[in-house]
Amino acid sequence: MKMISAASRLRPRLCAFALLLACCTAAAAQQPSSYAATHAGKNEFVIKNATLLTATHGRVEHGSVYVKDGKIVAFGASVAAPASAPVIDADGKYVTPGILDPHSHMALGDDINEATSPVVPQMMMKDAFDYNDKSIYRALAGGVTSSLLLHGSADMIGGQAVVIKNKYGLDRDQLLFPGAPPSIKFASGENPKRVFGDRKQMPSTRMGNFAVMREAFTQAREYQRQWDEYNEKVKKGDKTASAPKKDLKLDALVQVLQGKMLVQIHCYRADEFLTEIAIANEFGYKIRAFHHALEAYKVPEALVKNDIAIATFADWWGYKYEAWDAIPWNAVLAMKAGVRVAIKSDSDDYMRRLNQEAAKTMRYGGATEDEAMKMLTINPAWIMGVQDMTGSIDVGKDADLVLWDGYPLSTYGVPAKVWIDGDLYFDRSLPGLGMPQFQEGQ
Amino acid sequence: MPRTALRLTLFALLFASAAFAQQKTPAAKTPAATPALDPARPIAITGGKLLTITHGTIDNGVLVIENGKIAAVGAASSVKVPANAQVVDAKGMTVYPGLIDSETHLGLTEISAEKNTNDLVETSDEIMPHMHVADAFHAESALIPVARYNGITNAIVAPDSKDTLPGQNSFIQLYGADASAMLLIRDIALPLNFTGKQRRNESFATSSYPSTRMGMAAQLRQAFTDAQGYAAKWEEYNKKKAAAKPGDNPPSPPSRDLKLEALLPYLAGKKPVVVKAEEPNDVETAFALAQEFNLRVILNGLTHSQAIFDKIASWKVPVIVGSIYDEPKEWQRYDAVYRVPAELSKLGIKIAFASFEAHQVRNLPYAAGFAVAFGLPYDEAMKALTLYPAQIWGVDDQLGSLDVGKSANVVVASGDPLDVKTVVQRVFIQGRDVPMTNRQTELRDHYSNRP
Repeated sequence: MKMISAASRLRPRLCAFALLLACCTAAAAQQPSSYAATHAGKNEFVIKNATLLTATHGRVEHGSVYVKDGKIVAFGASVAAPASAPVIDADGKYVTPGILDPHSHMALGDDINEATSPVVPQMMMKDAFDYNDKSIYRALAGGVTSSLLLHGSADMIGGQAVVIKNKYGLDRDQLLFPGAPPSIKFASGENPKRVFGDRKQMPSTRMGNFAVMREAFTQAREYQRQWDEYNEKVKKGDKTASAPKKDLKLDALVQVLQGKMLVQIHCYRADEFLTEIAIANEFGYKIRAFHHALEAYKVPEALVKNDIAIATFADWWGYKYEAWDAIPWNAVLAMKAGVRVAIKSDSDDYMRRLNQEAAKTMRYGGATEDEAMKMLTINPAWIMGVQDMTGSIDVGKDADLVLWDGYPLSTYGVPAKVWIDGDLYFDRSLPGLGMPQFQEGQ
Repeated sequence: MPRTALRLTLFALLFASAAFAQQKTPAAKTPAATPALDPARPIAITGGKLLTITHGTIDNGVLVIENGKIAAVGAASSVKVPANAQVVDAKGMTVYPGLIDSETHLGLTEISAEKNTNDLVETSDEIMPHMHVADAFHAESALIPVARYNGITNAIVAPDSKDTLPGQNSFIQLYGADASAMLLIRDIALPLNFTGKQRRNESFATSSYPSTRMGMAAQLRQAFTDAQGYAAKWEEYNKKKAAAKPGDNPPSPPSRDLKLEALLPYLAGKKPVVVKAEEPNDVETAFALAQEFNLRVILNGLTHSQAIFDKIASWKVPVIVGSIYDEPKEWQRYDAVYRVPAELSKLGIKIAFASFEAHQVRNLPYAAGFAVAFGLPYDEAMKALTLYPAQIWGVDDQLGSLDVGKSANVVVASGDPLDVKTVVQRVFIQGRDVPMTNRQTELRDHYSNRP
């Protein structure tokens, strides 16, 4: 639909950013940033003698990975790489894909909730994203190469998320994940009803929560109908047709109805999963993932049937009433029923050690190494819609890699080096912050 | 032990932990719901690897429990299993003393966001030494069985740190018939919090005294001074009373003040004060204040005090090391706080770990394991969860190691206690075979078998 592409779809904006970027690069040609120049995804090297945990092809002992121009060109017991390619000897250490955190609020300061109305889909997280925030560096040092930065859960529909690669030290637009599809954050349950209920506004109950949503999508449908009518008239050559008023809020919801955004829903309780699914079916959009999803173990079949993933905590519980039935076996019980499960942080603390959190699924329910690895990498990548670009050690994928000290799925696993698009962004052995760019006086 | 030998042992232990870390996925067996063993008969845990804490590791060891205490511990070749013993086969398992969490809010909270389920701290005043967590301790809390399920057998229960003197801690064990059985030591210590968060300075409109650190210190100084005066009055009264002859009018006693009275055992140095501070200036101010009144100090926190660790070491006081998960400062390296336990330990400071938690007390050992990944010797990490807290809290005659005569708080697990993958199989508290169930296992089992 014309009016949508002209208005607020994310992709054209990304193109605009790309153009901007090109201009900036041209303007800065006299004074090129040496860091940006060395971190432009143009490296070539081979990691040898590593234990690869590939996420999609199991474990490869004494493995190698050949990286060129930001991509994984080859991996396996041996790789054919030119003799000129520099070699990194992993000395038997583990190499994994970069971790993806599918639920983060880092680098957003306190601009997470525009909690002045329960439906604000026109809010764009990108507008608040602070690419200089040190939390990005700390996530990177924990082996997280990509994060989905979501709105908070005060609103039923909170706004559009931003997907980043944690290339701390580069400029804002260089952190945006190229080609990542747009996501939108919905919420449900205690938070919206508390926030608005405390102000004596609707919603103050779960009934109110869902009524607000239905109301919004009903309006969006009507808006869509008006534009369809108008476009139809224009198509038929009607020169007198007047365009309906453009409404960015409803534009965004129409994109949801058209399946152009991945719907990420903060949702705790089993009954609310079912209601959310019913509303999605009623209006004809798909839910990509339930976030938190602490009661997934009660109704996993409904999630499997609708191909809805979960982004859950390993063992958080009891912080509020809707988290009272949380159990640490949730991830594995849901996984065994066929749900695609990711472990997420929702925290500037836990994002630094998501590997340990995923290892808890081995302790509670006996997930295998492979299963735990998937919960850290390819499954969150699917939730974020970037599963064809990253999230596993596979030929053609982005060279987002972590070399570990210790076994990654243990308390002792600590990232030694982190590459994104084949460039080294973190190296524990370096002084200062452990970054090629920040070594002095720290 | 000669120094070199000690070093070698440490090295061997470190190496052992590295070996743990290299293992492929261990068989994460879910603990079986076996009928509890009879506490009246001896229990023998056989074939396991015993981490004794005080006398090294014993492979293929035997530990005998009788009358709630450890009756024997040693290699299979040297310990006789009593004929009537109930045998727990711990082959392939690791056996270690119950872990001690040096600061929790267990029994003071149930659901964080539900006000009615919280009794964390009385914030109507900052000086509240007459609050006793023992009075609020909810022994039937669903959180306690969740914590002990992962091998935590003892804990300090402390009020939340929003007051400078929020009330007195208790030392508990995580299993028992009721609150009085679980509250091993009531009023074991007095927290003195000096992190700045105790200021009443939320906004200019609502701020009240003390709204600054000066105010906090002045108020504390006044409280301890008042308590000294109160003690003097009573001393004078007691002297007069003792000197009074038959027939004299008896002296009238001073009126009792429970708040000041609560401070007296601490002023007399009979019990320790747990001084919590994070920044160097706060640590120095709070420690100087404690010294002014001759308080017996256990330090708590020190998260951002790396600059004065050398000075702190010279004070010769033990430290409850602050949460290593606290964020470093903006300018600091990502691991600045992760390395705090290693740095304190290297200076010879006796450290103990704490979760500072209620719901996630179960994750206490992982903080110690993570500290190992950032330089803390493995042996010291284990001690900081067992022997050292037992010594700091004055219960090392009963707890903190696998030694004959100590209370049989013993954990049997599938591997390294500090690794997140390890599955705890059995927990004994005072020799009782603790049921390996809790609200969460019940939900798991219920929904695994739903129609």
